[in-house]
Amino acid sequence: MSESLLEVRDLRVYFGSRERPVRAVDGVSFDMREGETVALVGESGCGKSVTAMALSRLVPEPPGFYAGGEVLYRDQHVLQLDERSLRDIRGNEISYIFQDPGASLNPVFRIGYQIREAIQLHRPDDDAEHEVLELMQMVGMSDPQRAARAYPHELSGGMQQRAMIAMALACRPRVLIADEPTTALDVTIQAQILELLVKLQAELGMAMLLITHNLGLVAGVAHHVNVMYAGRIVESGETVDVLTRPRHPYTAGLLKAVPRLQGGDERLVGLEGTVPNPAGWPEGCRFAPRCPMRQPRCEAEDPPANRIAQGRYSRCHFWEQLNP
Amino acid sequence: MSEASTQRSPLLEVNDLHVQFGPRRKPVRAVDGIDIVIYPGESVGLVGESGCGKTTTGRAIMRLLDVNAGRIQFQGKDIAPITGSALKDYRKQVQMVFQDPYGSLNARMPVGRALEEVMQVHRMGTRTERRQRAAQLFESVGLDPAYMDRYPHEFSGGQRQRIGIARALALQPQLIIADEPVSALDVSVQVQILNLLKEVQQQEQLAYLFIAHDLAVVGYICERILVMYQGKIVEAGQPSDLFSNPQHPYTQKLLDAVPDVDQALLRRSGASE
Repeated sequence: MSESLLEVRDLRVYFGSRERPVRAVDGVSFDMREGETVALVGESGCGKSVTAMALSRLVPEPPGFYAGGEVLYRDQHVLQLDERSLRDIRGNEISYIFQDPGASLNPVFRIGYQIREAIQLHRPDDDAEHEVLELMQMVGMSDPQRAARAYPHELSGGMQQRAMIAMALACRPRVLIADEPTTALDVTIQAQILELLVKLQAELGMAMLLITHNLGLVAGVAHHVNVMYAGRIVESGETVDVLTRPRHPYTAGLLKAVPRLQGGDERLVGLEGTVPNPAGWPEGCRFAPRCPMRQPRCEAEDPPANRIAQGRYSRCHFWEQLNP
Repeated sequence: MSEASTQRSPLLEVNDLHVQFGPRRKPVRAVDGIDIVIYPGESVGLVGESGCGKTTTGRAIMRLLDVNAGRIQFQGKDIAPITGSALKDYRKQVQMVFQDPYGSLNARMPVGRALEEVMQVHRMGTRTERRQRAAQLFESVGLDPAYMDRYPHEFSGGQRQRIGIARALALQPQLIIADEPVSALDVSVQVQILNLLKEVQQQEQLAYLFIAHDLAVVGYICERILVMYQGKIVEAGQPSDLFSNPQHPYTQKLLDAVPDVDQALLRRSGASE
């Protein structure tokens, strides 16, 4: 495997006051290599989007602040860079696409103009006109000339997301962060956009961070998966291994909670309780209050990231008892 | 569908329903001639992508929208001409659960009051009886009646959807139209609500029209699935048949697009060999 392109070490992003912070991201570590798709999967409030924003120091400060850890992008300490150097990285080297393309596009400018703007921001001297059409073709927009003249509202949700992808790829970033890129789209369009992302990623050799709550998407495209719960990665490893042999009860519970096409009406056993609130994580193991395997030790002692194998971790005291 | 239900008369029968929007010369045919039959105690799923007309269908059955043509019969009676107290009585029998548990509760009303209010509107019982019944309903959807005096913002999304279900059950309806009742919820909470819907269906002998875009969710809850596309029902069948042997190309396309964990893992293990 090639060397890490992006390394996240014990990242902590808190919100509010320093005395009593809301610990949204609380000690997250993972890395991404060239050409690799890494999934960050979890439910609402687990900190996955804040983690994504932190990768190019996009969390608004205040109310947020970086309480510890580091983000290393090609040996640069991203969290220590000044605004100017950050601007060279954002959009240029690390690029984003978000859930709601309608809200990410400016409603009063034509699509072509907005894509050109993304190119010229980083390469002001380029003749961008030609490149805009090329990009639009690359993301599968039929009749790019017409679409370039359209305003965002004149395009469907799928086409809007394609335009967003064109903007995100305008500077050929090395890292693409896709935060719930298909959640707002219909299921058939979702499949098309995902296919497009996977194809482009392979062609351009980017690393992609796919942030999602959908295990089906993860199963389909990710090489490596990090399962997040309550501000931390509770399990990580190679995708097929994690999803077929989960070694953390949260992952196991999530997998059991997803209705399957071939599952029939056999009763699904979900997880009890609800997703905890970042304002007050439970003491000890944060999953313990909902865990079917909990022991007295779990409430007393916060489990470390136990190493199971190379690149395979579980934050459960009793991981050995699960799928041994 | 069980043997018994084929002999019983249908609870709801929709024939050749048309709902159109926009100018008469160039209308948008949101619902374009569909038929639906639901028997007492049966759960029927209506699946399709956004804009296919599934929500419009639900709203037309609730008489929240005017229909352009076709007939909707409930317990053998045409509901198109009914007004006043007859319409109120119809809406007591047919209740709705909405997608957004945040938007469908009054933010300024304690949730217990919200349950009592629907009973009050339909003049059920005395004040104390309504209060008791609300507490019962609270318990039946897995909430502690001690929280009845709290406001919606004090509950999580899943809890709010439980309240929405309790409110729909308050009038002891025959049919519940559930429009994407779990799509706004977290994965781990989704299954709790689905299981709750299954339980109350069995207890109360309820029929469901379950509107959703997620085929796997609908397959879990429903005995029969109707696939809707561009205002028409293109295919109907039992979940297992429909999923393993889809007849219409659109159903096939939908099934192929579903990001199913099992199928994805199967594909990958096949590819790596």
